[in-house]
Order: sequence, then structure tokens, then C-alpha cells
Amino acid sequence: MRPATRRTVAVLFAVAAACVAGGAEAQVRAKADLRCEQASEVLLYDCTVGLVDSRTNEPLTGLAVTIGADMPSMAGAHSVRPVVAAEGPAKGTYRFRLALEMHGDWALLINLSGATRDRVVKVLRFEDGRVGEAPPPRR
Amino acid sequence: MDDYTIGVLSNIGVVSFVALSAYLLLLTGEISFGQQAFFAIGAYAAGIATALWGWPLALALAWGALSGGGAAVLVGIPTLRLHGLYFSIATLAFAEMVRILFELFRYQVEIDGELTGPSGAEGFRNIRYIFDHNIDAVQFLLLIYALLAAALLGFVLLERSRTGVAFRMIGEDATLAGLQGISVARHKVLAAGIAGALAGVGGGLYAHLTTYVEPRIFDVMLGVHSLAYGLIGGLGTAFGPLLGVLIDIGLLESIRALAGYRMIIFGGIVALLLIVRPRGLLDERTMHGIGNLWRRTLLRLRRPGPGPGPGPGPGPGP
Repeated sequence: MRPATRRTVAVLFAVAAACVAGGAEAQVRAKADLRCEQASEVLLYDCTVGLVDSRTNEPLTGLAVTIGADMPSMAGAHSVRPVVAAEGPAKGTYRFRLALEMHGDWALLINLSGATRDRVVKVLRFEDGRVGEAPPPRR
Repeated sequence: MDDYTIGVLSNIGVVSFVALSAYLLLLTGEISFGQQAFFAIGAYAAGIATALWGWPLALALAWGALSGGGAAVLVGIPTLRLHGLYFSIATLAFAEMVRILFELFRYQVEIDGELTGPSGAEGFRNIRYIFDHNIDAVQFLLLIYALLAAALLGFVLLERSRTGVAFRMIGEDATLAGLQGISVARHKVLAAGIAGALAGVGGGLYAHLTTYVEPRIFDVMLGVHSLAYGLIGGLGTAFGPLLGVLIDIGLLESIRALAGYRMIIFGGIVALLLIVRPRGLLDERTMHGIGNLWRRTLLRLRRPGPGPGPGPGPGPGP
């Protein structure tokens, strides 16, 4: 291997090592309770997510919450640009409006930042006028 | 950079691994519709390693690569005698088999009072390594691109090596390559193993990026896309599939206004491109032209300009 190539490989591995070098800390793990209902228009849904600390069940307040959505059966092809959730009246609740491209099973990625950094994933089935837990896919 | 841009760039980086994986097999003349299987194996293997066994990320990614590569070699050996359509069908069948196996695969451990691990069709959540270790989105993005750069460097070195030449010779005509003394079987299994390992690394990164995987993610659509990246971007260089990923994800993201019709438009563009340029945008001829241009430019830069010179000497006398 040429010296220049060796140097490049060394730099790349150093960057990679620096990127994953982080100390393990007892992070807060969030638990989410997500409810959605159809809004005034088709494929538009109003959702409320309740966030609590999974260990203590204390509501998680004052966080910046964004929600992205993607269809597991077509990952990346119909992903929804993340929307920002506004803090609701009840402690630890956040509200947002979701505009989907079609009905079906959607994985909602609830991203938390601020005092707590975490991601919770919920898979829901969105149908015309009805939203519920997504049952396991049938073969 | 906002979170959305970082997310899109991270996706482009991660998907590039599976695109490179399919590209490597295309070089050897085989069309695989099953690289998503090794991506899935890498994702589950690396996810289990960090979330359930507490391994560091680097080791988990290596384990994902080893699992993907090992599985690819195991599939590569029995499918050696298959070519063309038969090989493609075999890889597709294997990928579907792997996906269905993951729908049945349950392996959960209680962590912090919560069951964590693959749970059949419900998938595998809480792959929280990056959150537990305070790795932010930009750091993870850098990690993805550092590994991708290493993979590309590997490709550049491979294409200059005898093995790389052998891969292309086999891709052109396996019988002729065999007559030249190249071990076709050994090279095809090697290519399958490297391709599987690449997809495995991509899968491991994907699992940690999204923190969630489920069998439906690894269906045939991912396989078709990964194959299309090489065919769109070009088979003349390893940068071709990356260009394909950029066009696919970049295009999908830039025409969001067309919502659900995006995939139809994308399909049309792919079909058109394949008619106009069957070996992709950066095909062998284009890369040869770019190479020549680059060499000429370098020569022109190195050649000394017409300076003042030494001037006329006294010259011989009469």
C-alpha cells in the first residue's frame, strides 16, 4: 500500500473512531403514547403524543419534539418531512398535524431533543376516518 | 445544517453501501435482486450486538459486515452455476426467505424493565446506541461518510488490482476469462462475499440511524432500487452507484410537491435513462473520456510555459 493511501486510510479510521467515541451515560428513555384522528381533510391527521420517562413515569416537558413518518413497506420512498410538535395543555403532551401521502401503515419517528435526547418509533395504521395500531403484516 | 438535511444526507450515505454492494456484483456480470437480504442481516446482527449484548458500535458494525459477508458466501457457493435470469431469481428467492425468517425471528431480552430485541413482524426497536452514548446526528453522519470514503477507496484500489481486472473480465465473458486462467468460481464467491459485507455495514449503520428495523423494510423494493442505482449512475466507476443514489433520493426529495406520484415519475425517468444510456450515466466510455481529459489537463499544467529562455549565445565566429 502506498504511503498516501496508508495515510488516507488512517485518517478515515481516526474520523470514524472519533465519531463513535462517546461515553455511555444513564440517559432518560422516553415512552410515548400516541393518538391520532382524521382532521378536516382526507390524509390529514391531528395527533397528540404523551411522553413520559419510561423508568419513573414522570411526564417529559419542555422538549423540542419533531415527528417524521415513513412507510415501512416502502422505506424512504414516501417519507414525510418532519413536523414540529407544539406542547399541549396537559403535562408531557405534544400536538402536531400530519399530512400523509396515502393510507396504510406508517412508522412515526418521534424525535426528542433538549433536556432529553431520544427517539421513539410507533407504527400505526392510517385509514380513511380511522387510525389504530398496525397489526402484523399478513403473508 | 438542519435535522432534515442531516437525515437526508445520512440516508444517502447508508443506502450507498447497498448500492455499492449491487454494483460489485454487476461488475462480475450478475444481476442480484437480493442484496437487501445482507443489508437486513447486517442490520439485525449489528442491532442485536449493541442493544442486547452491549458491544461497542465499531465491533457491532464489523459483526454486521461479517454476518452479511458470511451469508453472501454461503449463498454464493450453491448459486455459482446459475447465470442471468436464474441467478437473479435465486437471489430474489433468498432475499424473500430471509425477510420471512425475520418475521418469525424472536429474540428479546429485558433491558431496563422493557423487552428489547427482534420481535418477529413487529420488528426490532430501541437500538439506542447513539442516544445512550451521546453521539449526535452530525457525528453519526461523519461516521457514515468516513466508512463510505473507506469503501470507495477500497473500490479504487480494487479496480486497479488484478482482482478488479478479473472481476471485469468475468463480467464481460466468464468463459473467456476462465480460458485466460482466471478462477471464475473463486472470484465470483469473493465478489459475493465483499458485496455481502458492504451491504452488512450499510445495514448496521441503518439500524443505528433509525433505531428501528422491521422485515418489511427489507423487501424487494430495496433490492430493485439498489440495483437501479448502479444502472442509473453508471457501471464505469464505483462513483456511478453513488450518483444513482443522489439522483434517486435527491430527486424524490426535490419533487415532494408531486406527493404520491413521485415514484411513477421516478420509474419513468429510470426507464428513459436505461434506453438512452444502457450502462448508466458514468459508463465505461464516459469514464475513459474523463480520464483522458484529466491526464491531458495534468500534462498541460506540468509542461513549462514559454519562458524568456537563455537568449542567443555569441555563436560561432566567421
